[in-house]
Amino acid sequence: MDIELSTEDLAFKAEVKEFFHDNQMKKGEDYFSWRSRWFEKAKEKGGWDVPKWPLEFGGPGWTPTQHYIWEQETSRATLPFDLPFGTSMLAPILMGYGNKEQQDRFLPDIRARKVNWCQGYSETGAGSDLANLKTKAELSEDGTYYTVNGSKIWTTAAHMADWIFCLTRTDDSGIKQKGITFLLFPMKQEGIEVTPIITLGGSHTVNTVHFTDVKVPVENRIGEEGKGWTYAKGLLQHERTGLAGLSRSLVALESLKENARSVVRGNGTLMDDPGYKAKIAELEIDLMASEYTELRCLASASAGAELGPESSILKLKGTEIQQRIQKLIVEASGIYSPAWGDQSVGLPFAKGGTAGYLSSRAYTIFGGASEVQRDVIAKNVLGLTKGSTK
Amino acid sequence: MNFELSDEQRMIQQNVERFVEDNYDLNTRVALSSKSPGFSTEYWQSMAELGWLGLPFEEEDGGFGGNQIDVLVVMEQFGRGLVLEPYLASIVMGGGALKRGGSDALKSEMLPGVIEGTLQLAFAYAEMQSRFDLDDVMTSARREDENFILNGQKSMVQNAETADQIVVTARTSGGQIGQQGITLFLIAADAEGLTRDNFPTVDGLRASEITLENVSVGAERILGKVDQGFNILQSVANDAMLALGAEAVGAMEVLYKDTVDYTQQREQFDHPLSEFQVLQHRMVDMFMEYEQCKSLLYRATMETIQDPEAAQRTIHALMHLIGKSGLFIGENAVQLHGGMGMTEELRIGHYFKRLLAIDATFGNADYHLQKFTTFS
Repeated sequence: MDIELSTEDLAFKAEVKEFFHDNQMKKGEDYFSWRSRWFEKAKEKGGWDVPKWPLEFGGPGWTPTQHYIWEQETSRATLPFDLPFGTSMLAPILMGYGNKEQQDRFLPDIRARKVNWCQGYSETGAGSDLANLKTKAELSEDGTYYTVNGSKIWTTAAHMADWIFCLTRTDDSGIKQKGITFLLFPMKQEGIEVTPIITLGGSHTVNTVHFTDVKVPVENRIGEEGKGWTYAKGLLQHERTGLAGLSRSLVALESLKENARSVVRGNGTLMDDPGYKAKIAELEIDLMASEYTELRCLASASAGAELGPESSILKLKGTEIQQRIQKLIVEASGIYSPAWGDQSVGLPFAKGGTAGYLSSRAYTIFGGASEVQRDVIAKNVLGLTKGSTK
Repeated sequence: MNFELSDEQRMIQQNVERFVEDNYDLNTRVALSSKSPGFSTEYWQSMAELGWLGLPFEEEDGGFGGNQIDVLVVMEQFGRGLVLEPYLASIVMGGGALKRGGSDALKSEMLPGVIEGTLQLAFAYAEMQSRFDLDDVMTSARREDENFILNGQKSMVQNAETADQIVVTARTSGGQIGQQGITLFLIAADAEGLTRDNFPTVDGLRASEITLENVSVGAERILGKVDQGFNILQSVANDAMLALGAEAVGAMEVLYKDTVDYTQQREQFDHPLSEFQVLQHRMVDMFMEYEQCKSLLYRATMETIQDPEAAQRTIHALMHLIGKSGLFIGENAVQLHGGMGMTEELRIGHYFKRLLAIDATFGNADYHLQKFTTFS
């Protein structure tokens, strides 16, 4: 047992730091031209533009430790924005279950960030119980296209998306996990209507998407008809570990502590308030433990073992930690925390804190609500079965 | 970076695990605990023969040159079995002070016996008023020619009843509170003027209140330097906290797993308890707290090996979480076992009591949280 990074890993860390340093946005540079430049340079490094992609698809083929280092460094650097739907969510499914034609057709544009994707999974009746989805896809008599009818909800960035990857129901005769089919189709076409949903933080990121007789050619179907659940499920597992965001929380906590020291309270600062200080400390201790839980997962992944039971903890703990940080920012802004909108009153660092806190309530809901995560751990790790309802 | 045990460590782990399985069922433990000396001298000898007592000592002192990870491996298994033998008191604490501060003469006089299991140690660091503060020491040591005369009282000294030699912290200069001026003495348990008032503790172990009345100790029996004992005291306390952390993690594992098993067998409302979601989620929380404690235990242990001073903060973090999560897991294990959880018949209550005592040994969860914030 030791915590030293190997010489190779240290060299890699230095290389990553240097890359981030060398490719910062220049003064006066247009944001989008910097963004394309950044991704181009990252690609030249050998797949750094798609860190999670495997070697055979042009990714860097990093070890788990290298991924960890990258994750840590990205949380301390400023990177161009990047939505996860194409590169991190759809791409692995295309690689695993798509045919060669589909891979050649979609992956290059995903990689170049030319096409924006959104994820059509949740429905009003299918949230945590995702397999309950009803959006119907009917195969035409000649077997050349599907007709899609129904609606999706909580669709992040649907209003900016060019394409959607969508779970649809092609058969409702058997158990609900069967009969789900994975389809890809363009968003900008007749029969698709996107309605914004404004969430508690006041922002527009999610939407309702309605489909009326949308025609999707069969060649846009991933894998076999009725097997979509299997394809999507594998990805959900990926998504879960990625949502912990521990290195980002670490940076956020550091800056929160620093900021709290600048907040005058009585003769001292907010960090002299025993109650506030204790909350920060408890949060930090949980974060310190979670970091090592993550490292233990990585270590078992490096050794080629399946992800251990520790991995299931990360989404739960990680999202709770993120929420607690948001809450402490709100507490720091005190009397000003209800100030809403763009007026510049109160503490500069806490501006938008209340909106951020409200938005953060979603962290324990999306990607499988915390209660569902606990169900998963109970079943898969502790081996507990659920009772039949009588 | 890796979390794998070495081949040797894995072997020790398997040996200790087997030893505990073969020798430590609940009835045996209760029987041992209820009569003097409160543990099995036979087991203690086996542990010496198996080499466990020599693990954390240098090879030139007759030990195996192991580090805190080796102790972790042993203590985690001891925690799973609620082992009574005084590994913490005699090897980690008493032995830890001796190896750090003893003169060559003192070490060669004492350590072979410690490692062979024929000589036992105890570590008297606490006093009635000190609560968990290591630098709060009222016991005085006054120089008189070549000797020191000790007067005072030491509290909750584990294994003092059986110990042959006791490490005592005393003040040679300064006021009641302060790191400077604390000196460590190694005193024979039968020294004139030293009296022990022995009593059981809630976890089936034993402790003593020690009174020192004009106890004369030779200067050659000082561990470390006069007035400069605090660093050794802190290092020994740190090793002890890591060992307690490992023991606690072992105990937590048994508690959450026993609870999972029990709820699968016990039926109410025509269902095994384990089918009720509200209980499932509670057990998931118990499991998660156990894993988080284990993670922080690894972290604190590895950081201590790398840079003990920088690791101080992490050790406080560990003891905070161990205290908090230990009680959470213990209380819920009892709760989920229902009425049976309240009985002495099941082992979970015994594990719960040990965790309760661990939380009160070097400071409870609140104390360590407060300490943690002083580093910020």
